[in-house]
Amino acid sequence: MATTIEPPTIRTPPPARRTTGTRREARPLGHGRPALLMLAPFLVLYVLFIVGPAVYGVVMSFFDTSMVSTGLGTFAGFDNYGEALTSGDFWAAMWHTLWFTILTTPPLIVLALVFALLAERARRARWFFRLAFFLPYILPSAVVALIWIWMYTPALGLLTRTMTALGFAEPNWLGDPDWAMVSLAVTTVWWTLGFNFVLYLAGLQDIPRDLYEASAIDGAGPWQQIRMITLPLLSRTTSLVVVLQIIASMKVFDQMYIMTQGGPNFATRSLLEYVFDVGFTDFRSGYAAAASTLFFVAVLAVSTGWVVMTRRQEPEL
Amino acid sequence: MTGPPRNAFTRRDMLRATLLGAGTLALPSCSAVGAGLLDTGPSAGSLAYWNLFGGGDGVRMTQMEDGYRRANPGVDLQAVTLAWGNPYYTKLALATVGDKPPDVAVSHLTRMKTLAAGNLLQELRPEDLERHGMTADRFNRRAWDAGLIDGRIYAIPIDTHPFVLFYNTKICDEAGLLDAKGKLRPIRGQDAFVDALTRLKKVTGQYGATHGINSDTATPWRLFQTLYAQLGGEVLADDGTRIVIDDAKARQVLDFLRQLTVEKGLMPGSIDYQGAIALFASGAAGFHLNGEWEISTFQTAQTPFSMTLVPNVFGGDYAVQADSHTLVLPVRPDQDDRARLDLSLGFVRSMLDQSLTWAEGGHVPAWQPFATSGRYEKLTPQSDYAAAADAAVYDPPAWYSGSGSNFEIVMGSAVGAVESGGMSAEAAIAQIRSKLSELANTAPPV
Amino acid sequence: MATLTYETRALSTAEARRYAASADRRTRLFNRCCTGVLIAFAILWLVPLAWALDTALKPNAETTNPTWLIHNPTLESFRALLAEGDVLNWYAASFITSAVVAAGTVVTASMAAYALSRLRFRFRWLAFWAILIGIMIPSQVLIVPRFRELGSVNLLNTYWAVILPQIPIAIAVFVFKQFFDGIPKDLDEAARIDGAGFFRAYAQVVMPLARPAVSAVAIFSFVWTWNDLLWPLLALSNPKIMTIPVGLATVQGTYGIRYADTMASAILGALPLVLVFLLFQRRIVEGIAGTGLKG
Repeated sequence: MATTIEPPTIRTPPPARRTTGTRREARPLGHGRPALLMLAPFLVLYVLFIVGPAVYGVVMSFFDTSMVSTGLGTFAGFDNYGEALTSGDFWAAMWHTLWFTILTTPPLIVLALVFALLAERARRARWFFRLAFFLPYILPSAVVALIWIWMYTPALGLLTRTMTALGFAEPNWLGDPDWAMVSLAVTTVWWTLGFNFVLYLAGLQDIPRDLYEASAIDGAGPWQQIRMITLPLLSRTTSLVVVLQIIASMKVFDQMYIMTQGGPNFATRSLLEYVFDVGFTDFRSGYAAAASTLFFVAVLAVSTGWVVMTRRQEPEL
Repeated sequence: MTGPPRNAFTRRDMLRATLLGAGTLALPSCSAVGAGLLDTGPSAGSLAYWNLFGGGDGVRMTQMEDGYRRANPGVDLQAVTLAWGNPYYTKLALATVGDKPPDVAVSHLTRMKTLAAGNLLQELRPEDLERHGMTADRFNRRAWDAGLIDGRIYAIPIDTHPFVLFYNTKICDEAGLLDAKGKLRPIRGQDAFVDALTRLKKVTGQYGATHGINSDTATPWRLFQTLYAQLGGEVLADDGTRIVIDDAKARQVLDFLRQLTVEKGLMPGSIDYQGAIALFASGAAGFHLNGEWEISTFQTAQTPFSMTLVPNVFGGDYAVQADSHTLVLPVRPDQDDRARLDLSLGFVRSMLDQSLTWAEGGHVPAWQPFATSGRYEKLTPQSDYAAAADAAVYDPPAWYSGSGSNFEIVMGSAVGAVESGGMSAEAAIAQIRSKLSELANTAPPV
Repeated sequence: MATLTYETRALSTAEARRYAASADRRTRLFNRCCTGVLIAFAILWLVPLAWALDTALKPNAETTNPTWLIHNPTLESFRALLAEGDVLNWYAASFITSAVVAAGTVVTASMAAYALSRLRFRFRWLAFWAILIGIMIPSQVLIVPRFRELGSVNLLNTYWAVILPQIPIAIAVFVFKQFFDGIPKDLDEAARIDGAGFFRAYAQVVMPLARPAVSAVAIFSFVWTWNDLLWPLLALSNPKIMTIPVGLATVQGTYGIRYADTMASAILGALPLVLVFLLFQRRIVEGIAGTGLKG
């Protein structure tokens, strides 16, 4: 491999435009070839299995591609997009996803923070808390779903029995359109809280002790310390947790697919579940691709919004 | 900032990881791992067969597969059971499109039409079928005809599985509903049905009958379809492009069902599939409305029960919702290979010959040489509802219809919502119309 | 970082000592309360898994009227599943695919991140943004194209169908890049000046210092691959090579009211990862903490 020693601060002027692409590596500034070689393994797989299919998917969205026929099918222009944007089912699915995000994001952030704050104070038992809260996070969705379906089983499930034992009427956890999403949200909070918990614990440990000591000398009680010191210093962690949480909630699929199949009466059909239904049950790959492209735009909007907001807060980013 | 090496993977971690890995790898068979690394494709003497039978049906199908293996020692039968429902058909379609389908696959008759329309199934020529003794007259007429597409054969029906009535013999006896021979006296008409349920409720103290509703769109649809068809109603026409629901008839059925669940409390309005089974099995209800396939569940639970046709509640021509299991041969690159075709058809014939085992699972055999034999008649309670096969009403053909399809989901969720009291009959019919018209107006992807 | 200002006033020694003692007691009491509350929540969090285990240890008949008490404890459900099912094959499939993906991701992502972090080349910004966008693409839309791709090279229904699409994990590249950016450039500059090529600088200078990132990425890609459901569900039809989530989803409806069997399959499905967690707990947690904050 050719080695070039370049003093980092000297800049050579770019050569004249008449050089063609193959001569690019000869330019002193470019690490073109080694860069390409190092990027290659990742990029090849990435293009083959992520970018390529994604582009193909966007192309499919302009055709009436059917899952069971080869080729792209008849050209449909923007019809698929038009159908998606005017489809009641599409917007219902969007709304369900939004509702799911609203139900899960606050508990997943607030509870995780509260638990982390509490755990911060318990030095010796911290391993136990980490175990209890984080263990569910590594379970596969299929396992989580099986366990919670059993817990939600009418008449026999643990939650049902607890409710009736306490004297409440048994809510129809997974069968009542109003309750089903709440039940899925509860399952999701149990499943994924551990991740945020660990993030917050680490963030808390980064806060210098002296701040607390200094404030304690001034007579600050624990509540004031949390409000004035902890929360502001955790803002960076919190903003990261919030955006990750929102994007993850938008992409929810497994729980709906296994536990309710989008029911009852489509009340829990998230957008990705909708995409799956139209693409794989109805065999309409082209239309499903259009719906997922629209979804991707929505996720992109959320992420861009976050980047813009955090850039403003931390200009050195 | 980089942390000190205390964060790093230590040798101990590597050791633990290796032990864990070695332990895991020591457990399974080498053939599984080999199969995972290389897809070697089917060999000449092997036959790939996909089905979606779990539970009791799965056990019976495994017996039949073993029967085939015993009779054909030279063939390597690779049978795969996949989950019931949409993923099964998705995978079957994907596999066929990807040129790697199984040789033979199970398909519900109502779904088979869509697969055929998508050019995924081989047409079966009468000459080939005759070589294996499978001629049209040896199958149940209704099931056979329902499977034809423009007179062409794409599937071999092995059974009809209708919606039936399970009844607890002890409870029915106490309620005075049995005849001298200990069988349920035929119930005709709405009032008779309501009366029977009321009597049963008095005996059990809880419910007269149960059927799945929550997270179960198939059962409410099947019940609705049975009653609605007894009134002579239809839902779709012209391959699903037209919606022909008779509002009055649908209203009649929905109001009747709502009466039974919400107003009279004769059936629970909010219970899932397994819960409905559990209630019947434990004697909390006298009747249970479900597909016949649950016969083994109740046999295992040792509930004193028998089975019969769903009553002709609305009094017209008798009709009952049903579907059939069929065996299909997916399109494949080597389908001109006569030897492979004969291998597959031989397997199909073998399944038909073992209809006794299959019928024990509650299904009404489509294979007439067995169905008309004395052996089937002796199978009770299975043969008690054999007439259902001739009165079977299949789901209306449409690309979005069939067992477990969107059509069933739309219909079943609306009916279920009415039964649970969550929706009025008008609202349900309106919802059905609007959702079905969206589907009807969409160009079929096949 | 927000700035906070404090004004301090002088305390007399006695005042200070008294204040310290009472503050100390107050704090300790508060700490104990916190611990107590959290222990209650932690126990609550463990209930679902405990309940699943409790159910799995009962005979099926006992589950139709369940209480916490196990009248006839039995391992029958587990025995039946292990003997008759394909669970062991699922374990192997999951382990093989996850381990290979973890190794593949660490290698390819770190190499790519090194290029982005250290090398200057024409379309650096393009590569950067192209990889960034990958984080947001939902996997459902990729399935049909991937299916056609892998089908055409005969790799469907093999481990490779699951392994190859899961190696390029975009986030891994950024985790590594973030980490490498924190390693002073002088280190590998020095190696380069001594005549080492970029690859050697990467392999022998930068990577050994990146162990925290390596362990984080290895563990994450392992767990994510293990838990992936949809793509393996559609790509694998041979039960002998299904991964655990796919196997569980496939048998899900077939147990009917045999709840003990269902829970036993869930427990068996959870077991390997629980073991992984117990063995590598600290790494996992440090992995999230170390990389999450900076990201």
